[in-house]
Amino acid sequence: MASIEIENLTKRYGAMTALDNVSLKIESGEFLVLLGPSGCGKTTLLRCLAGLETPDEGEIYMDGELVFSSKLKRIVPPGKRNLGMVFQSYALWPHMTVRDNVKFGLDVLNLSESESKDRLDQVLKDLGMSDLQNRYPSELSGGQQQRVALARLLATKPPVFLMDEPLSNLDARLRMDMRVELKKFQAFTGSTTVYVTHDQTEAMTMSTRVVVMRDGQIQQVSPPSQLYKRPENTFVADFIGMPRINLIQANQSDGKNHLYSNGDIDIDIGWDEAPSSIVVGARPEDLKISKKELKGSQTYEVSSVLPNGPETIIQLTKGGTILLARIGHEIDVHEGEKVTVQFDQKALNVYDAKSGALLGPPIDTDRTN
Amino acid sequence: MELAIRRDSPLMRLILDPVNILLMILLGILFYLVLWPFLELVLHTITWGDSDRRLSRDAVPGEYTWFHWLEVTASPLSERMLYAPLVNTLITGVISTVIALVVGGGLAWCVIRSDMPGKGWLQPVLTLPYIVPSFAIALAWETVFRSPKVGGQPGLYETVLGIPPPEWVSYGTFPISITLAMHYFPFAYLLVAGALMTIDSQMEEGALLSGASRMMILRRITFPVVAPAFAAAFVLTFGKTIGQFALPFLLGAPTQFHTIATMVYANLALGLDSMAYVLAILLILMSLLAIWASNKFVGNNARRFETISGKGFRSRQVALGGWRWPIFWGVATFGFVVGVLPLILLGYQSLMLIDGFFNLSNLTMHFWTGQSDPEIAMGEPGVLHNANILGAAWNTIELAFFSAVIASLVGLIIAYIVVRKDSNPLARMLDQIAFIPFLFPSIAFGAMYLTMFAEARGPIPALYGTFTLLVLISVVNRLPYSVKTGVTAVTQIGRELEEAAEVAGASWGRRFRKIIVPLASSGVVTGMMVSFVGVMRELSLIILLITPSTRVLMTVGFNYAEEGLTQLSNALVLIVAMITIAGELILWWAGKSKLVRLREKNS
Repeated sequence: MASIEIENLTKRYGAMTALDNVSLKIESGEFLVLLGPSGCGKTTLLRCLAGLETPDEGEIYMDGELVFSSKLKRIVPPGKRNLGMVFQSYALWPHMTVRDNVKFGLDVLNLSESESKDRLDQVLKDLGMSDLQNRYPSELSGGQQQRVALARLLATKPPVFLMDEPLSNLDARLRMDMRVELKKFQAFTGSTTVYVTHDQTEAMTMSTRVVVMRDGQIQQVSPPSQLYKRPENTFVADFIGMPRINLIQANQSDGKNHLYSNGDIDIDIGWDEAPSSIVVGARPEDLKISKKELKGSQTYEVSSVLPNGPETIIQLTKGGTILLARIGHEIDVHEGEKVTVQFDQKALNVYDAKSGALLGPPIDTDRTN
Repeated sequence: MELAIRRDSPLMRLILDPVNILLMILLGILFYLVLWPFLELVLHTITWGDSDRRLSRDAVPGEYTWFHWLEVTASPLSERMLYAPLVNTLITGVISTVIALVVGGGLAWCVIRSDMPGKGWLQPVLTLPYIVPSFAIALAWETVFRSPKVGGQPGLYETVLGIPPPEWVSYGTFPISITLAMHYFPFAYLLVAGALMTIDSQMEEGALLSGASRMMILRRITFPVVAPAFAAAFVLTFGKTIGQFALPFLLGAPTQFHTIATMVYANLALGLDSMAYVLAILLILMSLLAIWASNKFVGNNARRFETISGKGFRSRQVALGGWRWPIFWGVATFGFVVGVLPLILLGYQSLMLIDGFFNLSNLTMHFWTGQSDPEIAMGEPGVLHNANILGAAWNTIELAFFSAVIASLVGLIIAYIVVRKDSNPLARMLDQIAFIPFLFPSIAFGAMYLTMFAEARGPIPALYGTFTLLVLISVVNRLPYSVKTGVTAVTQIGRELEEAAEVAGASWGRRFRKIIVPLASSGVVTGMMVSFVGVMRELSLIILLITPSTRVLMTVGFNYAEEGLTQLSNALVLIVAMITIAGELILWWAGKSKLVRLREKNS
């Protein structure tokens, strides 16, 4: 197993900066997901780790060994970095059978005939591909092709797995099954895994930590639950979560330094140290909806009701402000109805209006604990 | 009393469906224009003709006989008429195809998969030799390597070096193979480049991560994946070389070096029509055999070579490092020598008053702008004054225009039927028949139409000697391409678009005119331009069907070359080359701007 250290990595394509001074430490055995919108640099970062792209600046260490350094002009070629990769298109070799596809990496290792055969049979068996080993990739379903790609990865037992959107070619249902399988697979091998995706559900469900990237820079590195609860800036807050978070730009109301207003609605953030101009982040489930008048609540009109199985998303309007709230079955609302809303102070996040950076939760659960 | 078949009964609806009516009509026409001429050609070779009386006392016109086949394959004449030309055809075909593939494949790799600089403008330069008429290259070769031992004036080689080139350099296997390769390597290049573009470089990266060396990746991944494309490119290129007539004729006939294609022409010139047709059939069989062999090879393996497409396709360029500029200069020099230099030579040669004297005082514009002078070139005036040539130029443009427009429209209609009625076996048959002309070597195709339309048959008058016949054969010859273009265009138009119009109550004709034609137009117009240029430079196809009143630029140029009026011939070929290059340039620009439009749409 291996840890990976990335220091000040920069990669440019002409005028475009794909990676901008990225530093990251990946622990041994971790399942790290690189997440971000397309063009954010996540695939470039993965390919730099693989050695398929050469960064312009920075260093990469794998298991303590320097594999890339722009200063020392040290570039360890991909084949010598001891890693395996699953590509988005799987990149199965169409002219080789399943068995030959998996065997290729073992051939390069120059193993003895019997060891090579044993390993091959074992891997094919582990992935349930024994019966299909003499087929060609074009004769397999998408899920089976995916499994060949994994078998190919597993055969050489690399301590580091790199995966570039491996599930994006599968249909929704199969993707769900493969998520579970991949997670088991990683736990089983214990290999350090770096996984690229633009699908936040995939990132949240599989990772031990998520790296959110944007425009070649790292925005936040956190365990998935933390990422959802405490997004470190408005970009991450907005990017993570479905339906999206309510971001309310508000100014301090006169005289009372924990009361804020955007003209339509008033929010008591319960925190005295925030500046006069802020953005309040409130997840849809942090809005408490009631048909009764509550202390500190305000009245909204229900402008839309979208039931979705166990939960219902409702759209609330007050003046020109529109908020989304997530409610369970305990309350029944209809379009046009008036309801009152209370913000869950403990769950709110307060961001600086200019920089968008997290100033702090009004009531810091980490501190009070 | 009346047999009550209602208009809306299922059977009547099937019969009255305008698309089905069109399908039947087109099947009939194509059967008549593609399959029937072939049968006619075969029949002609196994029937005694009137002119056979002078060949054999046994001849009874109208009776069946194996005489012509035996004369060609098993008589004292066979060696000269069939076997030697067959060997020559195979040797020049294989050598030129191998060279074309190696050169074209190498260039394709440089352009598609490496970071060689200057690709943008090298690509059009590299396709030049295929754009210009094939015998332009033969004429340019002659300009340099002509040998006075065979007749005529010395070429550039002898003028500069003072000694004549060896005869094997001037005429025969060597120059024919080289010039064929020069003409066809861009064809192989385009085929291989198409295959290379579909390779997902992640396949190579996967192997790279396993620690495989570059050689191992090339040997075990890249080459096996493009192998089927190579095999197909080999067969298609070979099939084209063996049908070439003008080029081997110019560089072979002076020393009695014949290929099957030139032998067809020579036999017709001698009035041995049936012998020529036997050779034409053999030529078709060679082409069929090659295609069949490649289909068998590729067909058996097709499934495994299917690359898996999907998201995440990536084509990455290989860094050449220190070789970048040397390779660029190599490719650029090569492009200049095969693409530009021949045209310069032709241009220079067309300015020489007395052929073969390479000094400045010998330069003249006579062959371009001069008036008729009995002292020079048998009194032929310069090409820009020559009434014959102006007439031929007009014929050329008319022929290319009508053929391109008709071929594209018919191609689009056939494509529409093939795509929309894909479950109908008759539609599939139509598709296959429309493809058959592709398998006919051009000179053999010309021979077929010669037998078919030499005399009146039923309601069809004798079309030989008419402009109509030239348009007909050019259209049918272009059909395999225009159907292909049409299929691509129609496939991109979703069925729903048409169904929406159908729901709105539009008839089939209206739907075709208002929905299909406009949406397919950009692809079809491009195809039309390609056909226009293609018909314009065609010679082997129509050489047997041309009469003085229907002459076109290419045939006039060929006749001048035959008569030894090289300056005039060169000037004419140069004009055709310039027109075709201009056409390609327009296409290239149009293609570029279209790409830009598509890109804007995506973002």
